Amino acid sequence: MKKKIYLFCSQGMSTSMLARKMQEVADANNMPVIVEAHAHGTLDEKIKTEHPDVILLGPQVKYLYNETVEQFGDYGAPIEVISSEDYGVMDGAKVLKMALVALKNNKK
Amino acid sequence: MFDKLEKVLMPMADKLGKNKVLLAIRDGFLITTPLIIVASLFLLFANFPITGWSEFWAGMFGEGWESWFTNVSRPVFEMVGFLSCFGTAYAYGRQLEGDAIQSAGIGMIAFLILTPTRIFFDGVPAVEGGDVAGGLSFLYLGSQGIFLGLFVSIIAVWLFNWVYRRGWTIKMPDGVPPAVSQSFEALIPSAVVMLLFFFIRIGFEFTPYETVHNFIYSVLQTPLKGAGNTLTAQLIYGVATTVFWFFGINGPAVANSVFGPITKVLTMENLEAFQNGTDLPNIFTDPFSNFFTNWGGGGSTLSLVIVMILFCNSKRIKQLGKLALVPGIFGINEPIIFGLPIVLNPIIIIPFILVPQVNLILSTIATNLGWIPYTTGVALPWTTPIGFSGYLSTGSLFAAVWQIGLLILGCAMYYPFIKILDKKYLEEEASAVAVEEEEISFDDISFDDL
Repeated sequence: MKKKIYLFCSQGMSTSMLARKMQEVADANNMPVIVEAHAHGTLDEKIKTEHPDVILLGPQVKYLYNETVEQFGDYGAPIEVISSEDYGVMDGAKVLKMALVALKNNKK
Repeated sequence: MFDKLEKVLMPMADKLGKNKVLLAIRDGFLITTPLIIVASLFLLFANFPITGWSEFWAGMFGEGWESWFTNVSRPVFEMVGFLSCFGTAYAYGRQLEGDAIQSAGIGMIAFLILTPTRIFFDGVPAVEGGDVAGGLSFLYLGSQGIFLGLFVSIIAVWLFNWVYRRGWTIKMPDGVPPAVSQSFEALIPSAVVMLLFFFIRIGFEFTPYETVHNFIYSVLQTPLKGAGNTLTAQLIYGVATTVFWFFGINGPAVANSVFGPITKVLTMENLEAFQNGTDLPNIFTDPFSNFFTNWGGGGSTLSLVIVMILFCNSKRIKQLGKLALVPGIFGINEPIIFGLPIVLNPIIIIPFILVPQVNLILSTIATNLGWIPYTTGVALPWTTPIGFSGYLSTGSLFAAVWQIGLLILGCAMYYPFIKILDKKYLEEEASAVAVEEEEISFDDISFDDL
């Protein structure tokens, strides 16, 4: 079963750039991971139908963090905001690692 | 000072981002957007801004070939009020964590209950057995109906879910298939909503407005869109979005929850006028604000990226410029915002706010002078690159040249500010002892324990 790492920003535009970089790193390291980017408005639907394992928010929608945790905290996937430094330089490896660490901590 | 501002802005964004009604309206429009874009492309093909285009196709297919294409665009544009009602009702139902599709249904029906369902023609007597057909007039379903659609969907869906949640439903005994019992559960909530709108409809027939459509249109929609159709409102919008971005918050996503419904009406009115071949009424449409004030995203940072690549020497700025150029051409600029960064950067904030405002003012003047035509309202994706976007949204080649001119002006405005930053980064890079890049290893994460 591949782990699903889903990125969300307001329209899923710039997060899709980062998602691609993360996927490249994952593929290069043969990691069973799917990274996708979507609009925050579809989060509810994605959770119900595709069951992501990690939910990451772009820094430009960090104001939605509290709301997201309130709504979907019980769902079981870790929810985190990507740091603006890593986001700015589109550092796929670093964000991927952060996602995996979050996943690991969540399992404990 | 920044701390204080951030303390004000973050909760504000949080509040606006949390408000279920505003979220529903935003997401509801998102549902209609792909339809509008596709329909726009059909309309654009039928009216491509090249002389001889229409004659060329008419030579092949005969006069009236355009109607093949407008038969696709027309239903979308003339139903846009109804569509936004449907989309908002669905999104609001989802927000309330109720039955979304049932909510969409009830919103739609509530809207139709308020809408005249007989069409009267001048000169045709409305008698029994006469030629007056039952039907819906596009007049009420198009851009004139956008605001009413939003109000109705919110009220209807809220009430529906409220009644539902109170448990005022018909409960089926065990053994009844769930699909059957679900449809019965929605029965009483639906009845309450439909009764409410039944009375509203009757109530308005006793007023001089006759229909709720007329009332909303003259009391709310006209003044509101009038207020949105001013340079002042656009300047405020521009400052709001850039200031939010400065704090790392997606500015348009926040500001559009307030401005979006208004500019949507302005845009759709132009589109309808364009489709019908009448004069375009509004300057400040969505395409105008997308394609004549900002290039490369908020702050018009495409100019900045160009200066970064051409004139800056520090490694950090050069690299970032290269990374940001291609997305910037398509209007995406988060790498610059968070990477340069623009967030909380007191130097860059000055041109970041100023450049879009200068673009806005100059483009407004140019439009008023007739140098560039009003935008047709044709919904190109906001990611359409500079040059193409100006031409396709107005049909004027000069508009494309105008965009490039403003892009260069933007470069000149960003230049002195980014040079200051460049110098600072150069000094830092020279004095920095070569720091070992932190090697990222995935070895310590094993997939077995995930």
